[in-house]
Amino acid sequence: MTAETVKPSGPVHRPRRRTHPAVVNALKLLGLLLVLGWCLFPFLWMGMTSLRSGSVALTDPNIFQGPFSLSNYEQVFDLGFQFALRNSLIVAAVTTAICIPVASLAGYALARLPMAGKFALLAATLVATLFPPVALVNPLYQVYLKLNQWTGINLLNSYAGMIIPYVALTLPLAIFILATFFAGIPREIEESAKVDGATPFQAFLRVVAPLAAPGVGAAAILTFVYSTNEFLLAFSFAPRDLNVQTVPVFVGTFERVGYENPIGQIMAASVLVSVPLILFALVLQRRIVAGLTSGAVKG
Amino acid sequence: MAKTQSVSTRRGLGERAMGRIFLAPSFAFMAVIALFPVFYAIGMSLYSIRGFHQEFTGFDNYARVLTDAGFFNAVGNTLVFTVASVSLEFVVGMAFALIMHQAFVGRGLTRAVILVPWVIPTAVAAQVWRYMFDHNPGFVNSVLGTDVNWLRDPAWSMVGIISADVWKTAPFVALLLLAGLQTIPKDYYEAARVDGATVVQRFWFITLPLLRPAIVVALLFRTVDALRMFDFAYVFAGYSNSLATLSVYAQRFLVAEPELGYANALSTVTFVIVMIVGLAFISRMGRHMVGDVARKEK
Repeated sequence: MTAETVKPSGPVHRPRRRTHPAVVNALKLLGLLLVLGWCLFPFLWMGMTSLRSGSVALTDPNIFQGPFSLSNYEQVFDLGFQFALRNSLIVAAVTTAICIPVASLAGYALARLPMAGKFALLAATLVATLFPPVALVNPLYQVYLKLNQWTGINLLNSYAGMIIPYVALTLPLAIFILATFFAGIPREIEESAKVDGATPFQAFLRVVAPLAAPGVGAAAILTFVYSTNEFLLAFSFAPRDLNVQTVPVFVGTFERVGYENPIGQIMAASVLVSVPLILFALVLQRRIVAGLTSGAVKG
Repeated sequence: MAKTQSVSTRRGLGERAMGRIFLAPSFAFMAVIALFPVFYAIGMSLYSIRGFHQEFTGFDNYARVLTDAGFFNAVGNTLVFTVASVSLEFVVGMAFALIMHQAFVGRGLTRAVILVPWVIPTAVAAQVWRYMFDHNPGFVNSVLGTDVNWLRDPAWSMVGIISADVWKTAPFVALLLLAGLQTIPKDYYEAARVDGATVVQRFWFITLPLLRPAIVVALLFRTVDALRMFDFAYVFAGYSNSLATLSVYAQRFLVAEPELGYANALSTVTFVIVMIVGLAFISRMGRHMVGDVARKEK
């Protein structure tokens, strides 16, 4: 800390580095606690509020003030929140299951296969990640109406009606992440498989694809999270029908019943969707970080 | 190089065909589901559509955009939201990244927990923050010791959605920057320290320049996301002018006051604005990012 502690031990050229290690460690720990507190405090508020019954939750800001009960959770289930959870899961899972295999092929082609205009295609993929969903709402809605007129297939208020645009919107980022991962796999491995008599397709399927598994996982997780998060298109194409309504629409458009403010029910629903997603994030954090940062960091 | 060349010419035909076949599904799908609707929207934006009455009016809708006070209000809201939230996210995210980079005990836990806000659906986070700001029960007021009706006043509700967005995405920025920090060799700092550089100098002359690629990527994703933001504004204030962003305003003419032609003109303008800003970013760093993939391939 002071010059005195430095003098006997250290030479003159490091005069400022001797802050007491315990102080440094305490500061670092304090910093981490700050980060943790930042990330978690709304969940404390959400959880406590979900346990308080409506009128108290609305008049008293002190979240530790009871009475507490599970009535909000009962009411949310009575309103069919479990269906919204199911719908979100199905939409996100199917979107991921379609997007990732298709994107893997394109990512591999862009990273490895010889083709003209590769740079332009990669750039176009990157640009396509910017696509604002609001530009899709009305034209797709019209297309769905026309499709219904002509063929009788109704995509409004259906899972497919959401999954189709989600795949289109998640493909660019998935392709880009996968191309980055494929490009990182040593070419020699693939060449040696071909020397051993594998066709290009076998080399891709048997040798390269398994090695890219971490990248595939990362892209799949990001696609899944995007699909559970999307609000605007789900809200436009499947606004009310509980058979298809997803969680963001259920929570984001929660209407008050009568005059009572639904704060408790909304927080109960938020807790019910947050718990599985948080577990998902904690379990898969390594993959998520790899996916999020693959474009940002070289090598 | 020569060896690779010979191998790929031997297999040339097979691989070229395979490349086209592999790319076709993705690009065909994106063209039909994303690109075609954009042109469809441009087509519809040339009509005046009210109910079943439809009339070709050329660029009248775009002329109307340019004289529509509501549109400029939406531009203003979007701009304020974007500039404020992205710069705050950058500052907070950078602070978090530096904290996490310094710490060793508990870093793994923090890196896991920092994903939690990111994984929560925006509409859910918006509801939670809306009620935290709400006058009843007044959680934010009681914490700050204020008595503000946050949701009634446009300026204060803007503060509300900015806070919510910064809470949700500053950790995401921190993750991107942390990954960048971890690629900077420790020797650089040692050398600078021996030369007598202060903490601030080391940050300014070593960390910031070497972190540039990660910073640009983080800013790109955050800026574009903020420009096209819908969820926070809609959940906080519906279609009202107080928080209407470009996306909300375009959506209003589809749902609340249906005028399809005008709505399509607005969404096309939004599309163009988002793309121009995104392209400005990508033209600065895209060569670097795309080049990475292209270079590794050799």
